[in-house]
Amino acid sequence: MRHAAMTTTKEPRAPSPGTSPAPPDASPAPPDASPAPPDASPAPPGAVPGTAPASAPAKPARDAPRTIRQLRLARLGKKRPPQRALENPLREGLRLERMPDPFAFILFGATGDLAHRKVVPALYQLWRTNLLPHEFMLVATGRRPYDDDTFRADLRASLDKYSRVLPIDEAVWAEFAKRIVYQQGDFNDPVMYARLSLRLDEIDTEHGTRGNRLYYLATHASAFSEIVAELGRAGLDHEMHGGGWRRVVIEKPFGRDLESAARLNREVGKVFREKQVYRIDHYLGKETVRNLLVFRFGNGIFEPIWNRRYVDHVQITVAESIGIEGRGSFYEETGASRDFLQNHLMQLLSLVAMEPPASFEADPLRDEKVKVVRAIAPKTPEEIRRDVVRGQYGPGWVAAEEVPGYRQEPEVDPESETETFIAVRFEIDDWRWAGVPFYLRMGKRLPKRASEIAIQFRAVPHRLFKDSSTDPEPNLLAMRIQPDEGILLRFGAKVPGLGLDVRAVNMDFTYGSAFSVDSPDAYETLILDALLGDASLFTRADEVEQAWGVVTPIIESWLDEPSPDFPNYEAGSWGPAEADELLAREGRRWRRI
Amino acid sequence: MAGTETLPASGRSGQGSGGPVAQTAGQVPGEPALRWSSRVHSIAEIEEELARIWTVPNLVLVRDGVEERSVAARTSVMNLVVVARRPELGEHAAATIQQLTGRHPSRTLILSSADVESRSWLDAQIRAYCVLPRPDAAETCAEQIYITAGGAAGRHLDAIVAPLLVHDLPVMLWWPGEPPFETEAAHDLLKMADRLVVDGSSWTGDGLGRLRQLAEAMDRGRVTVGDFALMRQSRWREAIASVFDLPDFLPYLRSIRRIAVTYGTHDLTGAPGSTNVIKPVYHVAWLASRLDMAVHKPLTAAAMPRPARPTQAGMKPPLHRGLATTLHGPRSEVSVVVRPVGSRMPAGTTLRVELLAERRGSELRADVTAEAETVHVRVWLDGVAALERSFLSARRTEVDLLAEAIEGSSDPIAGDVIRVAARLAG
Repeated sequence: MRHAAMTTTKEPRAPSPGTSPAPPDASPAPPDASPAPPDASPAPPGAVPGTAPASAPAKPARDAPRTIRQLRLARLGKKRPPQRALENPLREGLRLERMPDPFAFILFGATGDLAHRKVVPALYQLWRTNLLPHEFMLVATGRRPYDDDTFRADLRASLDKYSRVLPIDEAVWAEFAKRIVYQQGDFNDPVMYARLSLRLDEIDTEHGTRGNRLYYLATHASAFSEIVAELGRAGLDHEMHGGGWRRVVIEKPFGRDLESAARLNREVGKVFREKQVYRIDHYLGKETVRNLLVFRFGNGIFEPIWNRRYVDHVQITVAESIGIEGRGSFYEETGASRDFLQNHLMQLLSLVAMEPPASFEADPLRDEKVKVVRAIAPKTPEEIRRDVVRGQYGPGWVAAEEVPGYRQEPEVDPESETETFIAVRFEIDDWRWAGVPFYLRMGKRLPKRASEIAIQFRAVPHRLFKDSSTDPEPNLLAMRIQPDEGILLRFGAKVPGLGLDVRAVNMDFTYGSAFSVDSPDAYETLILDALLGDASLFTRADEVEQAWGVVTPIIESWLDEPSPDFPNYEAGSWGPAEADELLAREGRRWRRI
Repeated sequence: MAGTETLPASGRSGQGSGGPVAQTAGQVPGEPALRWSSRVHSIAEIEEELARIWTVPNLVLVRDGVEERSVAARTSVMNLVVVARRPELGEHAAATIQQLTGRHPSRTLILSSADVESRSWLDAQIRAYCVLPRPDAAETCAEQIYITAGGAAGRHLDAIVAPLLVHDLPVMLWWPGEPPFETEAAHDLLKMADRLVVDGSSWTGDGLGRLRQLAEAMDRGRVTVGDFALMRQSRWREAIASVFDLPDFLPYLRSIRRIAVTYGTHDLTGAPGSTNVIKPVYHVAWLASRLDMAVHKPLTAAAMPRPARPTQAGMKPPLHRGLATTLHGPRSEVSVVVRPVGSRMPAGTTLRVELLAERRGSELRADVTAEAETVHVRVWLDGVAALERSFLSARRTEVDLLAEAIEGSSDPIAGDVIRVAARLAG
């Protein structure tokens, strides 16, 4: 059939928080009997504002103007309160309507893998495309005894490997490298933080970073609370009066169960206010995940059918063809449920199922997301036995290569019970979704790398085309997140010919065919957002805890259960047979990907 | 292949010949591959061919999954209409657009007219280019129709375009060279377009006359305009804006007293009218539109000739001092100079933008220059160097500019800038 056209809509730009300041005179009435309107000059208490009518004699403060009329008259002729800090009118229409403020980027764990693979390449890319202010400094801290030059050389070598745009431009790199300094020290050594504090003050004066600091914790998770506490002890968390923000970006994993996540939240909360905390889930920075919001709330036709009346069930799949990539000891302690289910899959689930937020700003958005997770009842051990499938891969073939089983990977216990696959059936007990199952699955060493969300709609209520040789399939809407980003809608069409055969056809929108393919890496998006103070795409404390509240009982129940007969799926297959059974017993099947 | 011919065929080339082009083995991802080529001589035949492209199984890609059919998808984003009045412009446009396959246009019509005096004829080459965005992605295809119209048909290009547009997709009209905005034919074409893409810096003379026409056409036709000349300046704009990101300098922005833009010329007299000044005028217009400076008088030739002083070895100094006017800013008058200087750079290139601001007895001078890939910014506060920085940003190719110009996100301030520039032009 002729390919149907689908027009594309440009993603509306998220309003950055700084561009829409509340009008300064939005609240003319003081909340209570304060002596004068907020913009009154420091007059002696009880003094009548200059232009108040003669009928208002001098009275004690509690008789200061209170009615709308009095307030309005009191305000007459007064200078309006000064506008908020002037914004730069020349920025209008440029790529960034607001440049991040000058800042120091303090990278903890700078010698680690994440810093080299993701964080620094993202910063470099932002710098290369002139999206960072000239007044910024990258202060890298780590245990290794590097000096500035050796560390720069080390970073340079990694950039040559991991940068999204190669080769590295020498002149751009030279300018970037000038802004990198290395601070050696132990994360639990208070002296290090004292030195860091001095150095940052120096940097503020020398490089004009104006006291704005972004602490980026790219260390092992076990160091997070220690670093945050030490930052607090050294006073590095205090936001300065009159400018100078302090923000902390915390990488995953955020805790390893409900209790540890709550503890970490408490410890972070002792030092930083929630507004200063940016918990990264890099899935939220992905272009297609953000498009999910646009797709749902920027289009009018899907919302009316986005509920239990029309949706039969939802499948969310994150398939990886890779194994554990030499991170055996890490994975042994983590497993698929901690590594993916608690964060990425739950985030995707919230975005699919959430109610429309009141505005596209950090808190309204996250309020709605957290409501979804709150509506998932934690499972009882019995429900877990029924609704959760775990798996571990054995040896097999993936993409024409023979690969070892999980237990044969280095640093893995030969009798390991860690899961590399998980499939879960959740129900969201709210008005919109009651009774609609959400099937989530994630696995390593599956046949291909693919992530997608599939909304399976209900079948037609009445079968008209009984003579069709194939049953009309119910409609399906699939949102592919990677690798071939796009949206697919499946519907039935008549097979040309004399009979009346119905066949399912796909209407397929591919990102690559509609937009220039060069979309930013998730880390670039997220780091820029954090620098601009936009927390929409970061997870809030209550979100993290709610998600752990759902996942922790599952992990804990396994401690009391003998593990299944691991390995229970072959590398290169779509997971254990029980995962298929999970859907099959309800007359459904996983979508073929 | 039958079809009622609305226009007599010229018989200049093969009759309705061509069809699918066999897929060569090992298509390289990202590289467009020609998958269809045919030649016809009437609108009806073109329509038929376009329908045929998508039914021929050769273009259908069946993925390894047996039941799941994935059809090669035509990109469904926009129609791109190119008016190339000379064949070499058409060839050049086609080469540029081909590099966009898989990125943007769904259907491209390249129109050129020839022998206006002869009887009407039409010659159309229909091609489909397909591209694999990635090895694991579905193929996406774009149609390209290269139409040469002769005789009266060539004077009514809108009648050729209208039936060939993909329904309901925005129409981008790229008009390289010298668009005759004042003609009836141009009006008719502009009526169909949502967006007009031009390159103001390629217009002959000083370009200001055509700039005025562009502004008129823009407001009358309610099209948005993308001008390569303006888009190329975004690196200047970012560099200039960055000065005023600094809170110490921001207050001066409202107290600008003087704007001087220097451009390169090859004309030794530097006489007004001899060199295209669209780019330097856009700089002034941009600043004026952002900073609420009103144009009361257009730019006129500055009176005094410059004293002879050699600027570059082997180059005589220009005699004229360029164009000048006074703008009315929110607080004070702003004097504006757009002046030529002999240079080996392409004529009309902006070489320098200088701003002078005075506030509470102190003076800020900003000087922005660009060479090759670097934009250089220097600022003096009361004569003392206060800031110096460089921005590296590559000059963009025509393909980049075209991609940006036809992408949905139009520059929200371009309309303002063009209107102000037109007022500056008189």
